[in-house]
Amino acid sequence: MRHLHPALWAYVALLSLFLLAPIIVVIVAGFTAGDFIMFPPSGFSLKWFEKVLRDPDFIRPLWNSLRLGVAATLVSTLLAVPAAIALIRGALPGRRAIETFLLAPLTVPTIILAVGLLFFAARIGLTSSFAALLAGHVVITVPYMLRTVLGVYAGMNREVEQAAQVLGARPWQVTWLITLPEIRPGVIAGAIFSFLMSFDEVAVALLLTNSDTTTLPVSILSYLVYNYDPAVAAISTIQIAIVVVALVLLERLFGVKNLMFASR
Amino acid sequence: MDVTASADGRIASGSRTEREFPTGLVLGLAPIVLVVAVFFVGPLIVNALESLKTPSGPKGLQQYGRIFGDVYYLMVIGQTLLFGIVVTAICAVVGYPMGYAVARSGRQVKALLILIVVAPLLVNVVVRSFGWMVILGGAGAVNAGLRAIGLPKAELMYNWTGVTIAMVHVLLPFMILSVASTIETLDERLEEAARVLGASSTRVFRDITLPLSMEGVVTGAILVFTLTIGSFVTVLLLGKNATMVLPVLIYQQLTVASDWPFAAAMGVTLLGLVSGLLWAQAALRGALGKARP
Repeated sequence: MRHLHPALWAYVALLSLFLLAPIIVVIVAGFTAGDFIMFPPSGFSLKWFEKVLRDPDFIRPLWNSLRLGVAATLVSTLLAVPAAIALIRGALPGRRAIETFLLAPLTVPTIILAVGLLFFAARIGLTSSFAALLAGHVVITVPYMLRTVLGVYAGMNREVEQAAQVLGARPWQVTWLITLPEIRPGVIAGAIFSFLMSFDEVAVALLLTNSDTTTLPVSILSYLVYNYDPAVAAISTIQIAIVVVALVLLERLFGVKNLMFASR
Repeated sequence: MDVTASADGRIASGSRTEREFPTGLVLGLAPIVLVVAVFFVGPLIVNALESLKTPSGPKGLQQYGRIFGDVYYLMVIGQTLLFGIVVTAICAVVGYPMGYAVARSGRQVKALLILIVVAPLLVNVVVRSFGWMVILGGAGAVNAGLRAIGLPKAELMYNWTGVTIAMVHVLLPFMILSVASTIETLDERLEEAARVLGASSTRVFRDITLPLSMEGVVTGAILVFTLTIGSFVTVLLLGKNATMVLPVLIYQQLTVASDWPFAAAMGVTLLGLVSGLLWAQAALRGALGKARP
């Protein structure tokens, strides 16, 4: 522990409280025994969790979100991993330009992408289809995957690959036996980040889903517009729990410090 | 750095690179480039085309005339930019000390602090905004506290105050992480040298740490600003119609008014604002890069 000013620690504690307050409040509100969201909550019960877990209007979107997140992550991985390897190995003159192009979706507000995708899907007759939704989420998640894998692969010791090659390994053997195992932490971290990005995405899902394909964030959002009861807190708590599990996995596999770089 | 890397590669891989290079490269890159081109660039182009549609028939800039010729829409654009500036400024001032603490704390504490900072980032923005509704609302936690000590009710929701608080919360992690990663790479020996030479800790911070970490603040500020002017969930939930910004207006034009060409034109306007800013950043960074050896 280094010596920082006590006033700074007090500030850090205060700001940590500010950062965690809305999350804590949502979790606490979900466990209320009362019929309204109020503070302090009246008693403890699991009735709102029971209600939510029996309500198809929340469970169907939850499955949709999980399915969409997994699909978007799989597609992103299949697209980004070969691309990252190709970008690092082939010392192209235009490498920077290609990278900038592939990471560009990160810089555009998702509402614009969502509006564009809606018009685009309408033109080719794919409105509120799973395919259009998946395409939108892949465009959003693939830059995270690419950036994480590029970061890990660029930091890897390439001499092992060269040694294998000198010793007679074929290019596919180098990739399969050396490169992929080496970059695996990056792929896993990228995959978890991709999943979280898709699982949290609102704008594209809001414009491209209908009541059958709607995702969890969208169903929470539309429920909130008309209702304001502890059910929202309960389903939100379930969503937080799913994210926490993903985060713990990420920490175990990749180390929490790397979150700082992956989330940048 | 790039030069050495590519020279290395050529020396080490020799003829293999020449042979394997085109097929491997094309196979690896073509799918992703194709997907991004079709589903990212494609929608942006369709969006731009849609914005040129007019009710009278021939394509034209009429939709843009509607935006820039109307005081209300100009006011919304102004509000969007002002909102972005205010949120960015608050994030910078509030987030900097935390970023400093994250960068300068020991291993264990640092891991904990990063977890605290990243955790909100991973909770859905709808849920976080809902949390703020619970805290700031009429029957919320803040008002319960005020009532308990006999103070009048505070109107914190459906106005700019509530929206700004929630927005700062949503985007603060980006600023903190950006500042922290810059301070981490800062050479501490510079600070030590100044201290040894008799500078007070205030002076060390003001003349060395702060100027050298400005790059992190700027990077964080640009990120926070672009995310603020592009976000609509938080504003929609905590502001309703009292706090109109461009993304909420786009959403309304699309879903309530069903005026697609007009919504598209506003989308292009928003994209113009964001790309203008990013271009300015790149130009600034280029100029700074040239100035430095």
